[in-house]
Amino acid sequence: MAPPAQSQRSPSPSQPSGKGEVSDLKSQLRQLAGSRAPGIDDSKRELFKKVISYMTVGIDVSSLFGEMVMCSATSDIVLKKMCYLYVGNYAKVNPDLALLTINFLQRDCKDEDPMIRGLALRSLCSLRVANLVEYLVGPLGSGLKDNNNYVRTVAVMGVLKLYHISASTCVDADFPAMLKHSMLNDSDAQVVANCLSALQEIWSSEASSSEEASREREALLSKPVVYYFLNRIKEFSEWAQCLVLELVGKYVPSETSEIFDIMNLLEDRLQHANGAVVLATIKVFLQLTLSMTDVHQQVYERIKAPLLTLVSSGSPEQSYAVLSHLHLLVMRAPFIFSSDYKHFYCQYNEPSYVKKLKLEMLTAVANESNTYEIVTELCEYAANVDIPIARESIRAVGKIALQQYDVNAIVDRLLQFLEMEKDYVTAEALVLVKDLLRKYPQWSQDCIAVVGNISSKNIQEPKAKAALIWMLGEYSQDMHDAPYILESLIENWEDEHSAEVRLHLLTAVMKCFFKRPPETQKALGAALAAGLADFHQDVHDRALFYYRLLQYNVSVAQRVVDPPKQAVSVFADTQSSEIKDRIFDEFNSLSVVYQKPSYMFTDKEHRGPFEFSDELGHLSIGAESTGTVVPAQRVEANDKDLLLSVSEKEESGGPSNNASAYSAPSYDGSSVSAAASSQMLSELAISSVTGHASQSSLAIDDLLGLGLPVAPAPAPSPPLLKLNSKAVLDPGTFQQKWRQLPISLSQVYFSTMT
Amino acid sequence: MPLAASAIYFLNLRGDVLINRLYRDDVGGNMVDAFRVHIMQTKELGTCPVRQIGGCSFFYMRISNVYIVIVVSSNANVACAFKFVVEAVSLFKSYFGGAFDEDAIRNNFVLIYELLDEIMDFGYPQNLSPEILKLYITQEGVRSPFSSKPTDKPVPNATLQVTGAVGWRREGLVYKKNEVFLDIVESVNLLMSSKGSVLRCDVTGKILMKCFLSGMPDLKLGLNDKIGLEKESQLKSRPTKSGKTIELDDVTFHQCVNLTRFNSEKTVSFVPPDGEFELMKYRITEGVNLPFRVLPTIKELGRTRMEVNVKVKSVFGAKMFALGVVIKIPVPKQTAKTSFQVTSGRAKYNAAIDCLVWKIRKFPGQTEPTMSAEVELISTIAEKKSWTRPPIQMEFQVPMFTASGLRVRFLKVWEKSGYNTVEWVRYITKAGSYEIRC
Repeated sequence: MAPPAQSQRSPSPSQPSGKGEVSDLKSQLRQLAGSRAPGIDDSKRELFKKVISYMTVGIDVSSLFGEMVMCSATSDIVLKKMCYLYVGNYAKVNPDLALLTINFLQRDCKDEDPMIRGLALRSLCSLRVANLVEYLVGPLGSGLKDNNNYVRTVAVMGVLKLYHISASTCVDADFPAMLKHSMLNDSDAQVVANCLSALQEIWSSEASSSEEASREREALLSKPVVYYFLNRIKEFSEWAQCLVLELVGKYVPSETSEIFDIMNLLEDRLQHANGAVVLATIKVFLQLTLSMTDVHQQVYERIKAPLLTLVSSGSPEQSYAVLSHLHLLVMRAPFIFSSDYKHFYCQYNEPSYVKKLKLEMLTAVANESNTYEIVTELCEYAANVDIPIARESIRAVGKIALQQYDVNAIVDRLLQFLEMEKDYVTAEALVLVKDLLRKYPQWSQDCIAVVGNISSKNIQEPKAKAALIWMLGEYSQDMHDAPYILESLIENWEDEHSAEVRLHLLTAVMKCFFKRPPETQKALGAALAAGLADFHQDVHDRALFYYRLLQYNVSVAQRVVDPPKQAVSVFADTQSSEIKDRIFDEFNSLSVVYQKPSYMFTDKEHRGPFEFSDELGHLSIGAESTGTVVPAQRVEANDKDLLLSVSEKEESGGPSNNASAYSAPSYDGSSVSAAASSQMLSELAISSVTGHASQSSLAIDDLLGLGLPVAPAPAPSPPLLKLNSKAVLDPGTFQQKWRQLPISLSQVYFSTMT
Repeated sequence: MPLAASAIYFLNLRGDVLINRLYRDDVGGNMVDAFRVHIMQTKELGTCPVRQIGGCSFFYMRISNVYIVIVVSSNANVACAFKFVVEAVSLFKSYFGGAFDEDAIRNNFVLIYELLDEIMDFGYPQNLSPEILKLYITQEGVRSPFSSKPTDKPVPNATLQVTGAVGWRREGLVYKKNEVFLDIVESVNLLMSSKGSVLRCDVTGKILMKCFLSGMPDLKLGLNDKIGLEKESQLKSRPTKSGKTIELDDVTFHQCVNLTRFNSEKTVSFVPPDGEFELMKYRITEGVNLPFRVLPTIKELGRTRMEVNVKVKSVFGAKMFALGVVIKIPVPKQTAKTSFQVTSGRAKYNAAIDCLVWKIRKFPGQTEPTMSAEVELISTIAEKKSWTRPPIQMEFQVPMFTASGLRVRFLKVWEKSGYNTVEWVRYITKAGSYEIRC
């Protein structure tokens, strides 16, 4: 362990006040620059430290550039590093002065100490000044051939940096080919790994303009290359292994036996201490077996234990990342964790983001056998101190109820929630009772009895209030007080701020009128009058519509507003299966966490409303392809209100017969802030463009099947391509073993990708 | 997509930048501001460790009083990003001697910049192994492993090891006394319902080692786990010895462990790194021996009084004892006065966490001390809602006890020079999240 002496090395940098200090430093640096006195390095170091600390806190010290460069003539490594850091930070804004540094950096690149050579090369490439690139080519070229591996690792990354400053210089100097050579021949694993990262980036972005580059990119996924990496996998660092596994996940084996060979070789990676390696391996297993249904299921069995370990070990942030992946998996294969549901019970002290995902997991794994336990546990959370979590858990109970398991017991529980007398619990429970009634009208008697006892005055939240009002309208013949409650609500029309509630109120009072005309007539008149005077366009329009409808013919109005309804059988899934498959293809990435495919958040056009709300111009392009847009929009809406939105999008049973009661959701959609809708418009634009996909990223190409190398690799001689025979079992036994794994009986939901 | 970090920031709780390191140009320089405005200064902080702002994604973690933020612009590998932060922090800790907080960062910021340069290049993680980095980024910061100064201790072939294949151990180590320390550290997680049934219970364990061994030793570890024992009896063709065998749900190993051999022979064999490291981690859900049973009875007597009785039984061997036992029993916020009677240890009311805290420094096995407390509450008029009780929480350490029952059967050290080694094995069980609902 490090001795505490370290702390005395540099006093805590004081917060500087500004310019005075900078000019002070300037003169001090000047004095030191020419001096050759002994111990000069120490005083230089103190000064440099001050400069760096100013730089860190955001004070502009670029005016010291000249002095810093002058002082950099030293053999002290720490001084050099600080100077390099400084130069790297300010060269971009001082391109002219940066030229001054080229000299000493180039000299250092030839130093006899490989450490200095490496550092200098790294800094040289970090200058990021476009007109200095000519000075990079020479040192990079010799760096790549350096006999020291440290210098080579740095040089490989340097090539990538050069590519980002000036792609043409990099390509013209033939660096990609040199990297390819190193990748396949270098003895050092880190050099090889860096070559892979660099080439993936370079060829992906070159692929759009050069056919050769796109061939090269595909060649990275060819059998010889993939096997080469697989055979060396144990030499790589854990981070590089992630990289390699990502590559292997994209490889499409030509034969079944190959799949087993690869899995056999990689199986021990599932026991790696680094969770990222384990997840990457899992991805490989899942992708490889997509076309083999039974093996794919066995893979689920095999990866269960490592995944559960990852959830329970490590920091909450890491658990969060893993849980997001579990959630994705469980959506595809609900059976996978159904007997391990107890792993998703929340601990009291866990952060809410972990709890939230665990609640989603509990909802997803619920089935006939475990529903009772899960719902019991969820009810515990409803009394949780953390109100958002309490809400989530109530919604979770409702979702499980809508999945049709053991509805009996659940309805009782929900009704108990209504009696808990906590505002938010009542509110959430009301919304759920409404959804339940739409699916299971047979429970109306029990529910109405309890709902009737709730005073509308205690309900503040618009969604809950709307739900209550809906029930009042729908079941007005069973609820004795219904017309009167509605009447008192209409009296307070002015105080009702939510347009959603006012819309529901209009509809409810209409329905009530058809069932109990004499008692409701007065209220209806008041409601229509208030609605017509409403400043909100939708409310006004609906009131006017009802008014004219009634004027035209009351029985027609009844058929429109309050037709006999069919129970909703299935609430529509909020995400299309296409989107889900895309996310699954991007397993082990941000897509899984955000629950949307990468093009939605990495492509400029898809980003949030932050900087790009002015990109409305794309609208014209998008007009043709409305079909593709729908899923994207759904996802957006989904993000805003994942759980509630489920209840609002139903596959309507009859044609437009329930227009009235259910039009609130569509209203919701239109009221999304202007920013969000502009985002949708821009999505409209991109989804039409993706078809051409010329400039889109590698990921999309892959998704659309463009990037996958169907073309066979240049036929190599077979014996070269044997995987290491170090594998545990011979292929035959291994396959046998996989076949023997227990096959889960439940069905799997996934579509084959191939 | 791999992890390609565009920038890393270290911020203190106020949002001041302690360290900023830009790796790539694809994000603007004002990313810290975006983080501050859209995450730190909103209620969003702590609701989700991954956030998207504009076209960038932010991963952030709080470690003591510091936020570490990684900014990426691509569809990055999340698990990799968080693991990287965790590893980087442990690397910094090993340099600073334990603590990682704002002060440590301010005092060592030059060193941190040096390390950030080495552990990540252009956003791609490089070498994070402290054993190797310490060879060329030293405390004094001046030592280059390649310098030919005779005063420096020669570090043979350091660059080879910077990236080399046996990254975790260098050659030519010599110790006068060859010693191995092995600790099995388990933490028990329990969630018990108010009716006393176990809702969920598991053990996560790790085996920590400290090796002071000369040369390139080969170590072999035998445990009383089911698979290992079965394999052994199979190999030696004699029946499994009676006695407890442990079924491990899942195991992960340090990179030094030969996984191929583990899979075929079920023995843990490895060439250890020098010094301290975590050899393996495991998880067990079946057959867990809970060291403590907690039997609470809480009665609310009217609006202003509560009676709390808690009995804690220790169910491990009578010769053993637990240390640092703390039992936290939640009480309502409006607690005014408390009085206690305990048969062992001390109890008091802690208003900051709204808990009765009962501490027992040394808790022998097979005993059952009790605590009874009377709690007086301030009566409030508005209080119509019933109080929802958070669970009772417990902390403890039980040395020489493993909740899983795991034991080391043998630890063999083999080195070509054939020296003798001294092996030390310890066991300890700690409370993970030990919760009892009441």
